[in-house]
Amino acid sequence: MAKFVGSRTRSKEGPRHVTGRGLYTDDFRLPGMLQAMILRSPHAHAKINSVDPSEAIKNPNVMAVITPEDVKQLTKPFKPGRYAAGLKRPVDEYAGAVEKVRYVGEPIGAVAARDRGTAEDALELIQVDYEPLRAVVDVREAIKPSSATLFDELGTNLAWQGSLQYGDIEAAFKSADRVVKETLKIHRYSSTPLEPFNVIASYDAASKRLTVWVTAQVPEVIYDGLREALGLQDIRVIIPDVGGGFGQKIHLIRKYVVLVSLLAMKTGRPVKWIEDRSEHMMAGGHACAQEFEAEAAVKNDGTVLGLRFKEYDDVGGSVSTLTIHFTNKLNNLSNTYRTPAIHMEGYAVVTNKCPVIPNRGIGKPGMCYIWERMMDRVAQALELSPIEVRRKNLIQPSEMPYRTISGNIYDSGDYPGLLSALLEKIDYDKLRDEQRKAREQGKLMGIGIVIGVEPGGRNAARDMAIFPEMKEPPGSGGINGATIKLEKNGTLTLHLGSPNCGQAHETTTAQVAAEILGTTPDQISTSIPFDSDLSPWGVAAANSGNNFHLYDIGAIHGAATKLREKVLQLSGHVLNTDPKELTIENGVVQVPGSATKKVTFAELGRIAYNNQHLIPDGMEAGLQATFYYTFPHAKPNIIPDADRRVRAQFTFSAGAHAAVVEVDKATGKVEVLRYLIVGDNGTVINPDVVNGQVYGSAAHGIAIALGEGFIYSAEGQPLTITYLDYGKCSTAETPRVEVIHRPSPSPFTSLGQKAAGEGAAIPSPAAIASAVEDALKPFGVKVCDLPLTPESVWRLVNHNPETERRSF
Amino acid sequence: MKQTIRVTINGRLYEEDVEPRLLLSHFLRENIGLTGTHVGCVVGECGACSILLDGKVVKSCLHFAVQADGREVTTVEGLAKDGELSPRQEAFVKHYAFQCGYCTPGMVITSHALLQRNPNPSDEEIRKALAGNLCMCTGYVQIVDAVKDAAKGMKNG
Repeated sequence: MAKFVGSRTRSKEGPRHVTGRGLYTDDFRLPGMLQAMILRSPHAHAKINSVDPSEAIKNPNVMAVITPEDVKQLTKPFKPGRYAAGLKRPVDEYAGAVEKVRYVGEPIGAVAARDRGTAEDALELIQVDYEPLRAVVDVREAIKPSSATLFDELGTNLAWQGSLQYGDIEAAFKSADRVVKETLKIHRYSSTPLEPFNVIASYDAASKRLTVWVTAQVPEVIYDGLREALGLQDIRVIIPDVGGGFGQKIHLIRKYVVLVSLLAMKTGRPVKWIEDRSEHMMAGGHACAQEFEAEAAVKNDGTVLGLRFKEYDDVGGSVSTLTIHFTNKLNNLSNTYRTPAIHMEGYAVVTNKCPVIPNRGIGKPGMCYIWERMMDRVAQALELSPIEVRRKNLIQPSEMPYRTISGNIYDSGDYPGLLSALLEKIDYDKLRDEQRKAREQGKLMGIGIVIGVEPGGRNAARDMAIFPEMKEPPGSGGINGATIKLEKNGTLTLHLGSPNCGQAHETTTAQVAAEILGTTPDQISTSIPFDSDLSPWGVAAANSGNNFHLYDIGAIHGAATKLREKVLQLSGHVLNTDPKELTIENGVVQVPGSATKKVTFAELGRIAYNNQHLIPDGMEAGLQATFYYTFPHAKPNIIPDADRRVRAQFTFSAGAHAAVVEVDKATGKVEVLRYLIVGDNGTVINPDVVNGQVYGSAAHGIAIALGEGFIYSAEGQPLTITYLDYGKCSTAETPRVEVIHRPSPSPFTSLGQKAAGEGAAIPSPAAIASAVEDALKPFGVKVCDLPLTPESVWRLVNHNPETERRSF
Repeated sequence: MKQTIRVTINGRLYEEDVEPRLLLSHFLRENIGLTGTHVGCVVGECGACSILLDGKVVKSCLHFAVQADGREVTTVEGLAKDGELSPRQEAFVKHYAFQCGYCTPGMVITSHALLQRNPNPSDEEIRKALAGNLCMCTGYVQIVDAVKDAAKGMKNG
């Protein structure tokens, strides 16, 4: 019986956060540290003719300026790899723009001064001669031959196109009773972490060692980026507390780490850079605006025989994340459905907007949006209940583990059960009665019911299915390390391969380790910060892709198991007993029932590091274990087969969502009256932590659907560079999300756990769209495009959605 | 030209020479070393830098340090006494009313002020009071629960 796994143990992170003792990068100061500011482009698209810093460096407190010339001379472009998949011709991408700027806010240089105010003043004294070019902001315009082009190397703004097919799609459409079509859109948004980007870089020229403290999710991206750009070998990456990640802090931030490191190298002093909120909103990375042309081949009973979609991605002014929103659709390509044929076709278009980044779920919310909007469309076309249409197509629990058409293996799940529980808990029939009454009173109440999977544990080899020209995968499966050390006083210290950005890594790993080792979580502390000198590595040494539950927990589970064996071996020797007879409870190893035959962790700690004569022959001294986890069920299809079937991710959580909304006819404002999720996150290690992830991800998906988003002018100027303009939801606008767990433990993971991080952000935009469409039923309008701002809903009500459409 | 200011912070008087353009948030973090006051936007929208100025919640990024001259400041570091969490802080820990922790000091300060003003707030009053403190992680559910629970604890104790 589990003691700590599944229990509401006290948070280990909490006490420091509520007392203001968290330590984030901005909280560190080094002797002689300078402050940096980034010089950014005010133009969406322009040639850089010259940059003259001579006025700025006249101030003796300005210690260094980096210009595009410096960037070109002193650094190398990042190597295309994991993040430029699909690029057909090489395009050099440096840490700063060197010849052209391609979005407002693109970094072109940097200043280091003795204080931030001086650095800010110095920016204004740098003379940049720009030659403005025509801005490319609209995807459909961008791919016309008449459009200005962003990258001369490509000669077109259509930077990538490709397609992928599973099953016999032609046959599916040929044998269909009906074909249902729709065009759908998702806009640009982000998770806007509250702690902006920041870096401290310190370079020791004598030993050629660079140390960076940075708010980042994936240490290896920073590590590799610095090595590639600066040609250094001796690099130490330290990641203290991270004030929110959500994918924003994986990739783009490497540019700034390089620029700040360059300042540190140039001045010989430590340099700190803290991003402004407005800098983050214009240049810190956005989720991709996606447009879909979808068609479903259906039978009259609602069975979906095939799904075909074209996707147009507005990837902004960089090629380094060209295809991530398209490739990620392989992760939940089938959603919860058995549909035997799917054809996908992608177009990645560069525009003069902020580059896209991997944001919470990347392409997965889009894929779920396609499926769930299309399920509603199919129901409307066939005059069937939308719930029945979904039921008709759901993968059945008896089919688990289920291999999807694209090669994913769904580990476990009861999708019909989730849906039924949701309808029961929300009292669906009663809600429909209420809705009828509300409509009679002229109120616009709507109900949206959707379902979606939440894949967890990424497999980088997935990309080979989409880019068959790739000879080698950029990585595959998930290798992840963890170290556990029993200290001399009997307490335990954990070292994780991934930084914590708010997912309670410390609490959760302590629960798992305590469970296995027979101690209590309060005896365990996790080493923060992540430090590449000390922490384990791994392909998945990352806080992204919903990896933690699988790889980090797997690694901690393995390391704790290994350490337990060592503890038992040493104890057996000390107590002169067969280790098999020993039990461990509350940090005491003993022969059950014996008053004398026992030894405490503290005693073992003293022995293991000091007392050689008590160590059995052949046993490694010390009580420390490092374990590198590999997912034991990664085959088959860890790399794509001849039919391009591949395991895009390895575990599959799921959730059924119900949204109940009311639309104010006069203003178009949507109020969420109720939002209920019945979720399957496998074995829940800590209910408060998992609930928090579900609440937070649902709230974000709902906020996106209802209006959070980035807007650009026709000239490519960002118009949403503050939280207020962006429409960030506060307590006043955010509904109270309700969560009920209905877990189907995974047969593939160490404790049956599955992912819970991106989760509710994946189906929630679709749930809101469905509910708003249902509310507007009296007007006979269709909801296809997000976001559903009061303005766009008002336009739907007033039947003119096409006028003055915003440019996303 | 620097100005001399005298500010009482968490019960202790500090005298410092500051530039007039120095923000109160940055004064607290950099001059005094109280880094619990976080800066998320510098334009008064996010509330991470919320502090009490003469007992009232303000966003310290919207004040200059010189405006605090002769006044009393309480930061998140001033709420716990000798490592003992205040009942509000304890409620935040119990309810997991944080994730990344960046908004937490501001949330705790604002909740503290709310409960002093209104020891028995409704959900709606809590949500209204916290509407100037943004959180990107939690969806606010556990934060509202923590404040309610803290209020209950205060009534009982």
